[in-house]
Amino acid sequence: MTNPFREDLVSRSRPEPCTVVIFGATGDLTHRKLVPAIYNLAVDGELPPGVKILGFARRSKSDEEFRKGLEELNRKVSRSGHDDAIWEKFEESIHYHESEFTDADGYKRLADRLDEIDRERGGKGNRLFYIASAPEFFDDILEQLKAAGLNQAKDGCWARVIVEKPFGTDLKTAQHLNEVVNRTFQEKDTYRIDHYLGKETAQNLMVLRFANAIFEPLWNNRYISHVQITCAENLGMEGGRGGYYDKSGALRDMVQNHLLQLLSLVAMEPPTDLSADGVRDEKVKVIRSLKQWDTPEKVAQNVIRAQYQAGHVDGKPVPGYREEDRVDPESMTEAYVAVRLMIDTWRWSGVPFYIRMGKQLPKKATEISVHFKDAPCVLFNALPGGVPGANVLVIRIQPDEGISLRMNSKIPGTSLRLEPVKMDFHYATSFGKGSPEAYERLLLDAMAGDATLFARRDEVEEAWRFIDHIEHAWHQSKTPPPMAGYVAGSWGPKEADELLQRDGHTWRRL
Amino acid sequence: MEVPIGSIDKELRKLWEQDDARTNASLMNFAVYSEAPGALEKNSRAIQTLTAEHACRALLIGIDRDAPEASIRAWITAHCHLSHGKKSVCCEQISFALTGKATGRLRNTVFAHLASDLPLIFWWQGELSPIFEDRLYSLVDRFVFDSSEWADPAGSFGKLVDAISGATRDLVVQDLAWTRSFQFRVSVAALFDDPLVLAALPEIDSVRIVHHPDHRGSALQMLAWLAVQGQWRDGMELDLAVARKSGNKEGFSFESQGGKAISAELVSDPESAPLGLVELSGGGVTVAVSREAGATHLMRTIEAAGHVVEAPGPVDPDDPAGLIGEQLARGGKNSLFQKILPRFRQFLER
Repeated sequence: MTNPFREDLVSRSRPEPCTVVIFGATGDLTHRKLVPAIYNLAVDGELPPGVKILGFARRSKSDEEFRKGLEELNRKVSRSGHDDAIWEKFEESIHYHESEFTDADGYKRLADRLDEIDRERGGKGNRLFYIASAPEFFDDILEQLKAAGLNQAKDGCWARVIVEKPFGTDLKTAQHLNEVVNRTFQEKDTYRIDHYLGKETAQNLMVLRFANAIFEPLWNNRYISHVQITCAENLGMEGGRGGYYDKSGALRDMVQNHLLQLLSLVAMEPPTDLSADGVRDEKVKVIRSLKQWDTPEKVAQNVIRAQYQAGHVDGKPVPGYREEDRVDPESMTEAYVAVRLMIDTWRWSGVPFYIRMGKQLPKKATEISVHFKDAPCVLFNALPGGVPGANVLVIRIQPDEGISLRMNSKIPGTSLRLEPVKMDFHYATSFGKGSPEAYERLLLDAMAGDATLFARRDEVEEAWRFIDHIEHAWHQSKTPPPMAGYVAGSWGPKEADELLQRDGHTWRRL
Repeated sequence: MEVPIGSIDKELRKLWEQDDARTNASLMNFAVYSEAPGALEKNSRAIQTLTAEHACRALLIGIDRDAPEASIRAWITAHCHLSHGKKSVCCEQISFALTGKATGRLRNTVFAHLASDLPLIFWWQGELSPIFEDRLYSLVDRFVFDSSEWADPAGSFGKLVDAISGATRDLVVQDLAWTRSFQFRVSVAALFDDPLVLAALPEIDSVRIVHHPDHRGSALQMLAWLAVQGQWRDGMELDLAVARKSGNKEGFSFESQGGKAISAELVSDPESAPLGLVELSGGGVTVAVSREAGATHLMRTIEAAGHVVEAPGPVDPDDPAGLIGEQLARGGKNSLFQKILPRFRQFLER
């Protein structure tokens, strides 16, 4: 029986009441992102009545202490502000469960607690397990959920799991984790979160490509010269982040997941429909079609790694990467990576895709730029100065989400001279209403059983397969490509500039 | 700044040339029409609020149809807002004051200043007058009005339905009285997302709606929506319903698809919010959406088998400009309103 009152009200999958169990409930992610996201959904009326939150962590806390800590952070970070009256009602749905992640008894008590919550609510026992703990506990949590029977949905209910990144550290560990997850939950109930996919502009990529007739005919190697995907950060290893980052590096921390996901959205073929598997089938084909850089020589030719040296960012002095807190002084972990990728398909044959990600760059920005080929060498190319540049379509992911198109125009006057001009669309100025946080959309989708914006097992493993060759060349080959350096506050090493220059291109100035 | 009618475009260009730091943004043409004295000033304030979230070219139209002489004057201005605390984003406004017979000039002079290729949203304030005719609404993409302002809603809806059926192109109509019930409808739908509640839908036998006396139309539209979506037929007592109207209460009766009798009661309460309560019960389940007057959120409640679940939800704005802003953010063709319109009119004409 379908709900007749839903007609014409919302054009999205319908979230169902459930209990959200968050593992790692005392962590930063829970306080800064997850609970504020659920609170904002409640404020916007998107949250189904009867949703409960149960925080699971090792520290001793009462429900009241847990709620108080969440309230303090929510006041600071909530997108929609903090309304005492709404919070008062909202916090009644928040509970805390103290247990070690490896304690079987703790999971039995969790099962009892969930049954009790279901009884109090008088509703069905839908469960959404959110694993936001440190990655070393992922296996234990999943195995313990299975041992306690919590992976099994009750009649007419569902049990789903959201797994936070990092989803493995290489192909082998990702495959292992996938096996553990799939031994515990079915693939259809597994949601591997990549918050970049929840961002408004990332979602708009498909709309831009497939709802506008002017782009898709040009979206191929006949008209596109190359594509650049940049993720620049103007931060280093502040707040003790060096400990985690030095074991991970830019390639595994950002490229394997976020940036390859963006690449697949840019490069995929039109899906047959908008179902989760319809979209993900096309995305995974892109990752599978990447030319593999499977020898140290190919890695040296197509991938640049670098660390920043002491410099200035935003006018403030910053240390070099190896001088950062909790970073090995002899570290060989990259804080910057630039990769040249080739996609072996008819559409993209001969079109290089360049991805770069770096720490301590001049500003924070994530964007995709599609560089079109030059207009034919006739007419205006004979003019003094020629044609100033090819068309560039820029999709800004963050901050200042929007889309711009660079085109050439005549400078007013009696002589014929050309200058590039920019047509600019800003989400914030065109649609004054703020976009929901990525986690809001993704949590709601998981409650609704819509996995479109989550990574599927094969996507994750194919991405690791590509990344592993590079990691292997860097850390296990006899002739590892060198580690380059750049001054903090600059746009990266000269080697990265040379990577593009070899193809006759330059990095877009952000 | 008052400008000659023939120089509006030139003066607008000058306005933007004065300051390079400002960005002119426009997603639509937004016209506001009123025959009430002093409306231009009041509506200019509403546009200032509205443009913070909806970039548009605003055309404010004030008409004094009873004035003996025909005249037209125009003013231009810009509404600027800081976006993300840095960029100044501005929307332009052209105000027109017309006197005397105005239909032809509305189309030929005022609408000559629409931004091309952008949709025209037309907010009609007050009663439908003779100005509301084909030459007007054939240019409009979305026609917005507030039926709670109408002295004779049954008659005015008749004119509107004639306009929709006779229009040469799709005319999307938007009643702010209907928008006023949006969050109540979303909340009712959300409550019925619960499978336990949904299973009780065929057993619903009682509906109660509390409304402010000025917002009976919203309450009737709410009831029409429940009846249409729930596929409730009119009950045997419909013809007697007028007799059942007494004091501040009026009764309706329906029959569900399964033959279950459903009684509905509308209660008019001067202390209520525009919509104060929508409650459905039957089969051991009661669902309610309620709002205290002036409250900044509404409350959704499910009572079933001794359990009570409560959750807050957002409210619709109380002011018309806020309601329009919400509606513009949602977009859509408002086909659901057209679907419930016949049933709503039937209730109105009882």
